[in-house]
Amino acid sequence: MSIKKPIWQQPWGYAESFIISFGVLCIGSGLELVLPVNQSTLIYPFNLILGLSFFILLVLAHVLFRKTKIHAFLSGIPLTISLVSALSFMVILMGILPQIPSQQNGLIQQLGLNRMTSSYPFLLINLFLLIVLGFVSLRKTVPFKLKNWGFVCSHWGLWIVIFAGGLGSGDLRRLRMDVYENKTEWRAYDDQDRYCEMPLAIKLKDFLIDEFHPKLAIVENKTGDLYEAQKPSMIMIEKDLICRLQGWKVKVEEFYMTSGRAGDRYYQLSDFGAAPAAKVRVVSPQADTLQGWISCGSFNRPHESLKLNEQFSLVMTVPEPKRFSSEVTFFTPDGKKQDATLEVNKSVTVNGWKIYQLSYDEKKGRYSDKSILEVVRDPWQPYVYIGIFMMMIGAVYMFWKGRESVSE
Amino acid sequence: MIWSNFILVLVSSFFLWLSALICHKNEFLKRLFILLGTVSIGIFIAFLWVKLERPPLRTLGETRLWYAFFLPAIGMITYLRWRYNWMLLYSLSLSLLFLLINYLHPENFSKTLMPALQSPWFVPHVVVYISAYAFLAASSLVAVRGLYQHYTKTLDRKVLLMADNLVYLGFAFLSLGLLFGALWAKEAWGHYWTWDPKETWALITWLGYLIYIHLRYHMPTKFRSSLWILALAFVILLVCWFGVNYLPSAQFSVHTYSQAP
Ligand code: HEM
Repeated sequence: MSIKKPIWQQPWGYAESFIISFGVLCIGSGLELVLPVNQSTLIYPFNLILGLSFFILLVLAHVLFRKTKIHAFLSGIPLTISLVSALSFMVILMGILPQIPSQQNGLIQQLGLNRMTSSYPFLLINLFLLIVLGFVSLRKTVPFKLKNWGFVCSHWGLWIVIFAGGLGSGDLRRLRMDVYENKTEWRAYDDQDRYCEMPLAIKLKDFLIDEFHPKLAIVENKTGDLYEAQKPSMIMIEKDLICRLQGWKVKVEEFYMTSGRAGDRYYQLSDFGAAPAAKVRVVSPQADTLQGWISCGSFNRPHESLKLNEQFSLVMTVPEPKRFSSEVTFFTPDGKKQDATLEVNKSVTVNGWKIYQLSYDEKKGRYSDKSILEVVRDPWQPYVYIGIFMMMIGAVYMFWKGRESVSE
Repeated sequence: MIWSNFILVLVSSFFLWLSALICHKNEFLKRLFILLGTVSIGIFIAFLWVKLERPPLRTLGETRLWYAFFLPAIGMITYLRWRYNWMLLYSLSLSLLFLLINYLHPENFSKTLMPALQSPWFVPHVVVYISAYAFLAASSLVAVRGLYQHYTKTLDRKVLLMADNLVYLGFAFLSLGLLFGALWAKEAWGHYWTWDPKETWALITWLGYLIYIHLRYHMPTKFRSSLWILALAFVILLVCWFGVNYLPSAQFSVHTYSQAP
């Protein structure tokens, strides 16, 4: 063991690093208590100017101080580890405490622990990390050595991701559009329901939805709650299904995906609003037999359940979507027209806006004539992608190189 | 239907890989048999793709098929580079397990995934994570062994090198898993990262191993604390995989699919 060096004597090591990181956390928390909630999101061109200034200052500082002890410390592993530990600490808190706005005003809210990503400690630590990561990347990049290319990819990649992602967040526009069948819409709204006009119009030609079969479930009569919700207690309905649901034996004798009631039974039907229905025969644990129709109903038809006893009823759940898509036409101000199909996981880019299938009128389900789209503009995305791809290359390099080459 | 021929794939992959195990002394035959077993799954996927006239990525059965294809592929690449027989064995067994599950549950062939999961990113995201967990779990086992050797004063330097190498490989896959996830989320929903509890815990895991890597690089001789970190990092990994659902933050997770219907 080497002789213990008194603290704050150069060169600084782990003790100083952890004290500094802890200090940054404390300063951040202090700011959080005294300053108003931080909501600043820089928009173009201010974020670009700030980013460029930051980068130029970083390079300048590197050039001027690269031979000093303080630079070695600022681009060294002890500080890296202490900062990453501080970040991990905050992320762990974030992983435990729900990140939702709250009406209460306890210490958690005062310190911003329920909106960690926009709290001052989080921002300060990330800024500090960005400086350290920038210094070490600069140090390893100039003079460039070929053997360092894996390091350059992973570290610059991460730097670019944090830098471009952070600065770009102010320019990110995320809006929603409700489009109705056979209508053209050019207005979008944000999460505070403020409307604005878009540089493109969307006409919904058709909204298509494909559903799973509904399921059988047993609910309590009094509360309407699912009985024994812990166990897998719902079974998808099929024609001629025979199954055991909690204590009861259920047989599906007839099943229609779209049907309507007439007299004492349901018939296959394809009207607007026609709902699924099934005829079931139930044998109770006491071997009593019951028979009847159940239906989950639809926005314009009542649902129907089968009362099993004083306590429980058999019901049919509302079908869940298997896939849904919108057939749309885009119109842009330059007079162009473009047809497309929007589906979850299959977005379309028009005029710099990315359009995603988000949802539909869930009350109406398969009869929805409304499609809810999300439109997103993110001018910084290409730069973040460059960072991500550099990190990927760095990861592949890491796999290939391993730790073998480093001798002890 | 092409799925009725599925048993052929299961049987042929099983026997080809069994042959590889039997003649593992002969490098050439071993590799050939493993390759053929993997190719037979690939051929089945190709046929399925042609028959369905769409990429087979929509149902539970189809995605399992892709896992069964990519796992041996990754196992083989790892083997070619690093000669880890256990990784080969692990990926082949897991692949067979996926094939077997498919065979025993034919209803999966038509069971559609929820719309959010029907994406070409889904398979690489999961396969890469499965691989990362394998390496990181192995590294922790090695670390426990190293600790045992340390306290019985029989520590072999090779053990440390082995642990480090496994962490590097595991960390590479873990990073790829996170990055694939971010790209997928951006392409599918417009966010890279939503701080969903599962994502948050995956990041914590990643940061933990990041610390380990840098610490080892900086202080290669202080291995005792590093070994402890490594053994404990696995606990975080387990929290990430199994424990997340029990945390107060979990009720807001998109990763706790209340199982696809
Ligand atoms: C949080 C941001 C990070 C910081 C501040 C950071 C900082 C550092 C520092 C200071 C070094 C020592 C370089 C030297 O003194 O020569 C280093 C080395 C290293 N870092 Fe990072 N790092 C970060 C993220 C990463 C990531 C994301 C990876 C992997 C994907 C990584 C992998 C490595 C490796 C493999 C080395 C050894 C370099 C070599 O072999 O030459 N680091 N890092």
